[in-house]
Amino acid sequence: MQLDVQNISKKYGRDKYGLKDFSITIDKGVLGLLGPNGAGKSTLLKMIATVSKPTHGVILLNKNNILKDANYMRKQLGFLPQDFGVYPNLNAYEFLEYIAAMKGVGGSHLKLRIKQLLDSLNLADVAHKPIGSYSGGMKQRIGIAQALLNDPKLIIFDEPTVGLDPEERVRFRNLVSDLANDSIVILSSHIVSDIDTIADKVAVMKNGSLITNGIQEDIIESVSGKVFEILIDKNDLSTFKDKQIVVSTTRKKGKLKVRYISANPIGNSIAQQANLEDAYLYLTKTN
Amino acid sequence: MKLFLQTIKYDYLQRTRSYAFLITLCASLAIAYTFVPEPNASYSTIRIADYVGSYNSAWFGYVTAIMTSVFLSLVGFYLVNNGIKTDFNTKVGQIIASTKVSNFKYLLFKTLSNFMVLITIVFCVFLMSILLFFLYNDGTAFSLFQFVKPYVLVTLPALFFIAVLAVVFEVFLMKYSAIQNVLFFFMFSSMMVFVPKTENQHALDVFGTKIVIEQMEESVKLITNSDADEDLSIGYVLGNTKKAKKFDFNGVDFPRVFVLSRLLWILFGFGIITAITPFFKRFSDRESMKFKRVKSVKGEVNEFKEVVIENLSKPKISYSIFPLCKTELLMLFRKGKKWFWIINIIGMVLLVVLPLEMAHQLVLPVLWFLQVNRLSDLVTKETFYNTHYFVFASYKPLQRVLISQLFAGIVLMLFLSLPLMIRYAFESHFMAFTSILLGGVFIVLLASVLGILTQGKKLFEVLFFMIAYANINGIIYADYFGGFQDGVSYLLKLIVCISVFITLIVLVRKRQVVNLA
Repeated sequence: MQLDVQNISKKYGRDKYGLKDFSITIDKGVLGLLGPNGAGKSTLLKMIATVSKPTHGVILLNKNNILKDANYMRKQLGFLPQDFGVYPNLNAYEFLEYIAAMKGVGGSHLKLRIKQLLDSLNLADVAHKPIGSYSGGMKQRIGIAQALLNDPKLIIFDEPTVGLDPEERVRFRNLVSDLANDSIVILSSHIVSDIDTIADKVAVMKNGSLITNGIQEDIIESVSGKVFEILIDKNDLSTFKDKQIVVSTTRKKGKLKVRYISANPIGNSIAQQANLEDAYLYLTKTN
Repeated sequence: MKLFLQTIKYDYLQRTRSYAFLITLCASLAIAYTFVPEPNASYSTIRIADYVGSYNSAWFGYVTAIMTSVFLSLVGFYLVNNGIKTDFNTKVGQIIASTKVSNFKYLLFKTLSNFMVLITIVFCVFLMSILLFFLYNDGTAFSLFQFVKPYVLVTLPALFFIAVLAVVFEVFLMKYSAIQNVLFFFMFSSMMVFVPKTENQHALDVFGTKIVIEQMEESVKLITNSDADEDLSIGYVLGNTKKAKKFDFNGVDFPRVFVLSRLLWILFGFGIITAITPFFKRFSDRESMKFKRVKSVKGEVNEFKEVVIENLSKPKISYSIFPLCKTELLMLFRKGKKWFWIINIIGMVLLVVLPLEMAHQLVLPVLWFLQVNRLSDLVTKETFYNTHYFVFASYKPLQRVLISQLFAGIVLMLFLSLPLMIRYAFESHFMAFTSILLGGVFIVLLASVLGILTQGKKLFEVLFFMIAYANINGIIYADYFGGFQDGVSYLLKLIVCISVFITLIVLVRKRQVVNLA
């Protein structure tokens, strides 16, 4: 199973790009796609999901050009868009049966699979109620269920944890790990903690381009030895931010504890173990 | 005051930058172009017995003003009757509710914004009428006053009242789009049939058109020396125009009572807004829930369950279209309030018990029109409900999803007309049976083609409204269901239209599927 994205661009207007000359090869496992808002993550994912076409470039799934044969991708795709809706007058069973029919899935086992999915996603109790009455988190779980209806081999989750409570996030991470045993899972987020515990590989995007792509350890290595913490006065924060890449600030005894990235640490700074969030901020702010 | 005007301005800009507005404006201009027929045209719009007016400024000004008053009151309502609903849907309403703007001010700015949207179209039509004058006039002098006067006294107050009416409907019936459509339909029809008996009663004519028509009739009576009511026709009448004689129409000297009444209609509008203010619930949770039609459910559970992929039952490949058709039908039947089906059933019973002609010519088009809400978003609901990524990322969406949507729409329409079709079948009236069959297909495809082209439902709603109005008035050119015509050539025309619609739907949807974002 291999997805090969070759030099794709998405052009809007005369010289505005949503994605520019983007290439990446994705194998079985979890790819975490990180990037600030507007980086082009959703644009890329929509093109892989065949709901949008690139202006230039090729997307190959197992060497099949999905721009020419979109249905090859659609047959084995599970897609949870960032912003999706539901038909409010259908209940969960009906909605999932409808989506299953659209995906070309049926047979005697379908009802059982839907029941298992609803049960596992803690929606069994409300499954016969109209989806229009569901909370945001419940709708998000319906979205996850529909992505898994067809036993997909390529699963795209675009900002999947929106609306999920902490416990549901944990369950979702376990699900993604489970899925990755047999499939390609692309997980997009601008929240690093959603990615760092489950992604085998991480790709960082900014302004429609790929900044870096690789295993987490290698990406973290780029800021190794450059992460520090220091206590400063609250009034000095603004000046400090002008000079350093600040990762986070926390209040401590009337002062501020600042975590920052720098090749030249200041005074009594204490070196810290680098993590993916440090690397992500460093890469997106210096590129 | 400045802030208030700014609010109206931005609401107005938001609405006039919509596709629906652009389409309505273009359609209005296209229709306005036909208000005063070209001198050799084979139709007339306003004709009194054998007379039409000389093509002078007054004729152009008054004819276009009264035609705009009626036409734009009809379609304009549908253009502007979603201002508050849009605020609900976009959740902007919640932000507005948290500001200090009062309910009265909010409803007032929605009314004025509605009015401005309508005025914009009126202004364009007004310019078009002047252009038409210079194209077709009989060599008479141009008088701007003869254009401005009827638009100010006839058209604008009528449209202000429509702007008010749209807000009233939204406050009380926001979640019942179907009822709004139907209620306005009957309200409009009843306002149209009002005939003032005395000069003072013209004050009660909200469209302000009757006094102008009466004056035109009087002018003709002076020529013919007749006291009898002349044979008046308003609307598009084909043929026989070459025999029409010309009469000079020099405008109307409006009585004071009438002028005052136009002002009073505007004041009455403000009064209505004031009166309905207490009924506007300011986007409260309760209102929002009513709008969602369903109560929220509690589904929080404490048990810690997880999806284990290997335990899930394995699905099988099935490209059957049947489940899609079933669900599309389910959604169509469930749409709207359940009690609305009582009206549908009454309609179906009437199709059984009434004389065939009446059932076919009157009940069927009304019964089908009542489904306007179901049909208008038949193939665009995925955009409205934001499920388009699911639909367009599905296996062969064009062939499977679209066909199932069209199938469901056609089944609904034919189901409703089934009693009548059975009656015709028993009478072996094959032509009428086939006309209804094709009519059902025609209207579903019309809804689909307009929906796909505009990515909205307004244009179809407006058009279907006009078609239904024409059907009720027995205008044969709007007969798509064989109520007034039959024969092979008529059926062939329907088949040609259907074929064109299908081609358009397939081509445009195919393009949309590959260019979604």
